[in-house]
Amino acid sequence: MQDALNITPVSGASQWKRRFLQPLLRQHSAMVGLAIIAVYVIAALFAPWLATHDPAAQDLEAALQGPSAAHWLGTDSYGQDLYSRLLYGAQLALIIGFASVALGLVAGVAIGLTAGLMGGRTEWVLMRIVDGLLAFPELILAMAFMAVLGLGTENVVYALALSFVGPFARMTRGDVLQVKNQPYIEAARLMGVSTAAVIWRHVLPNVVSPILVQAGMRVSIAILLESGLSFLGIGVVPPTPDWGLMIAEGRAFITMAPWISGVPGVALAVLLVALNLLGDGLRDAFDPTTQKDA
Amino acid sequence: MDTAVALNPRAADVPESREPLLEVSDFSLRRGQAVVLDGVNLALQPGETLGLIGESGAGKSTLAMALIGLLRAPEVQLEGSLCFRGTELTRLREADYRRLRGNKIGLIFQDATAALNPCFTVGEQIAEPLKRHLGLSKWDRRERAAELMHSVGIPEPRLRLDAYPHELSGGMQQRVMIAIALACNPELLLADEPTSALDVTIQAQIMELILDRVRELNSSAIFVLHDLALGAQVCDRIAVMYAGQIVEEGPSERVLASPLHPYTRGLKSCVVELGSRRLEPIPGQIPPLDAMPAGCRFAPRCPKAKAICGEQRPQAEIRDGRQVACWFID
Amino acid sequence: MFQAASAKLAQTLLVLLIVSAASFAFLKLAPGDPVSIMLGSDYSKASYDQLTHELGLDQPVVFQYGNWLADFVRGDWGTSYITNQDIFELAVMQALPVTLTLAALSLLIALVIGIPTGVLAALYRNSWVDVLATTLAIGGNAFPSFYLGILLIWIFGVDLGWFPALGFVAPWEDFWQGLWHLTLPAITLGAWYVGLIARITRSSLLEVLGQPYIQAARARGEPGWRVVWVHGMRNVLMPLVTVIGLQLGGMLRGAVMTEVVFALPGLGMMVTTAVLNREYIVVQAGIMLTGLLFVAVNLAVDQTYQFLDPRLRRR
Repeated sequence: MQDALNITPVSGASQWKRRFLQPLLRQHSAMVGLAIIAVYVIAALFAPWLATHDPAAQDLEAALQGPSAAHWLGTDSYGQDLYSRLLYGAQLALIIGFASVALGLVAGVAIGLTAGLMGGRTEWVLMRIVDGLLAFPELILAMAFMAVLGLGTENVVYALALSFVGPFARMTRGDVLQVKNQPYIEAARLMGVSTAAVIWRHVLPNVVSPILVQAGMRVSIAILLESGLSFLGIGVVPPTPDWGLMIAEGRAFITMAPWISGVPGVALAVLLVALNLLGDGLRDAFDPTTQKDA
Repeated sequence: MDTAVALNPRAADVPESREPLLEVSDFSLRRGQAVVLDGVNLALQPGETLGLIGESGAGKSTLAMALIGLLRAPEVQLEGSLCFRGTELTRLREADYRRLRGNKIGLIFQDATAALNPCFTVGEQIAEPLKRHLGLSKWDRRERAAELMHSVGIPEPRLRLDAYPHELSGGMQQRVMIAIALACNPELLLADEPTSALDVTIQAQIMELILDRVRELNSSAIFVLHDLALGAQVCDRIAVMYAGQIVEEGPSERVLASPLHPYTRGLKSCVVELGSRRLEPIPGQIPPLDAMPAGCRFAPRCPKAKAICGEQRPQAEIRDGRQVACWFID
Repeated sequence: MFQAASAKLAQTLLVLLIVSAASFAFLKLAPGDPVSIMLGSDYSKASYDQLTHELGLDQPVVFQYGNWLADFVRGDWGTSYITNQDIFELAVMQALPVTLTLAALSLLIALVIGIPTGVLAALYRNSWVDVLATTLAIGGNAFPSFYLGILLIWIFGVDLGWFPALGFVAPWEDFWQGLWHLTLPAITLGAWYVGLIARITRSSLLEVLGQPYIQAARARGEPGWRVVWVHGMRNVLMPLVTVIGLQLGGMLRGAVMTEVVFALPGLGMMVTTAVLNREYIVVQAGIMLTGLLFVAVNLAVDQTYQFLDPRLRRR
């Protein structure tokens, strides 16, 4: 995450405001999305204080209960408190979502930069690897990586990150190639500025905003894929409080206790809608080529 | 410039007293608060050609779009009357208006490249009004489309019927556009800057072609142009527009020879004459629609403006066989 | 033209080669030793070496890849350890048709609902129709398909009992029964696409309707419905097909989830079961097959462009 945030343009804060913040603030639906996400982030950050129960504590005597004073959102078939699991699930979803995208972004941008700047054989080989990654649908790719890496929270992050490397690498390389041929890059080189400095000062600031927009939109895909993998049973392992797992678990009790899958299902759906709203807003605000009313 | 008049021998023998084909009276068009066209008066006799002259933003194209009914309520608000062959266009039902469009009224767009649908062949696009208005069979439509293409000077029309617009040159595309506009022998042809998107070398050819076709079909035509000299050369009458108003209207040769309105005079002096050093651009620009002056709309730029010009709108007066709207016609 | 076509062919072949190499690499990376898995818990060193030799695993990796690719092209994809089924039979003859049928039906539903919604939203821009369509579009696009599937099963399958909750009947064996069983899954998967199609239809149509050729069609006396549905929509098809093609990954993602939720024996179900059973040879077949499918559909989308936009046609 840190690395992703550090590569903001070198220009002053006021310019940043004018170019990015103000257009984004004008997008009302994006602001609604941001507000909802903020609620989730707060829930995730303060989960230990907000939770009423240990999310993994089983109490078979209290199993399959509807919402009550003791269990605000009811309990699942193991008697685990759904409200507490919901809060910790938010934590997990956001961590996996952002971490996997950040990892994929760093790796993808590194590959894209290397390919774009080195050219020649290095570029050819790197881009063929990227082609290979892009030749598969993300979920299939993530499933394959999970099969190789094994189950578990950490491996979900790695598998998702690996499946995001391709798009980021291709995008970065395309942007670098475009920037590389600009006269001012050549001028900087001729003036004896080192390659690293040229990349840092001149190339990165120009490619950063489309990549961050892309990253913003990927987070919702990451969370969807993460919960999907867990739902299929090839992601996070029980009793970790994961929404995908909770939905899978509640599936069998849908007629007698619809809240077991309903609580995480609705939470997931609302978060994804909010992320999409924000992603669309980011795209419209930063990318002049897309239509405002798209 | 006398030669220009000589090129246009029909100008003198158009009788003035017949029932006009088109009569625009006190016609205004508003878009929200902005008055885009303000009190326009025009009459067009059958077989007559009229040039609408003015800078961009004067409302010439808007008038043409209003005449063919592509600008109507609720998009814009219309006042006054547009009377075509005795029919009041402003109150016409959309279904009835549709029967006029492409049939009795044809429209040639400025940029044929943009005005031809890239996904349909030129033959299909020419055949459309033939089907819609004349109800021709598929076979007859194809025959007629080929004839029309031939009549607008497209060589080997049968081969080009199945061509897509992008496969033709800009000049050929404009010829297709003309063929579409004239497909049903319209009584009124509207031509919105028909040559300004073309290369200079073919502009004259296309203009000539439109005039020939209009004469042959004995149609009336309104040309939207920004060039006063060209307008006077090709049209029987010209109407000079400024900021949504007609400031001077009359027979071409008289308007060009002795313009009465200061704006017309300014336009005339903008015409670059070879070997002459006299070139006086009109200072300033057309005021924005939401900040129109209360009086004469040209007053802020007029060299002769007095106090009254800024306060009261001048009414059109008939002077020397033309209408002029100015407080100080000398 | 020949040059462009052969360049395209070479590029496709290269991608296919990469796809196959990646699929092969997967099996090499997969945990566990295939020989010891096949031999079970108790075996001798001699039998181990013999099987290693028989499987060609003592050869250099490049040869192993060559052999594997040759077998793959011949349709010899091996046999499942668990069901003893021929994997080619399982993947291509049984699972693939199920996934393709589901995808086609979902796309059909999405187009039938999405296009008119998008057109209405564009024509009545900023009205309540537009707001409703946009809301539905964003909602449908973001709603996780596996939870939607569960909800549909609960409401229409169990509670109302209108549709079968689970299971699959092949439409090519019993058409109406098959269609009936596929209705809920197709709605589940289609819901995701509806939003996308409605949004792209709306924004493309808005752009197209502002073009001069639309005014020109009206100036020819064309009626409003023809201006929108013929002159306008003909130009919207291109961006529509592009987006449908681009979102194929999302389609397959949804298909995997939908198949598992509704217990449909498609590719997604096959790969999921195989991952859970650690049957990597079946996973590999699934990976290779989806990769091929992906490449093929992208190629097909590329070819449609020429058909949809005369400007891209070569004469």
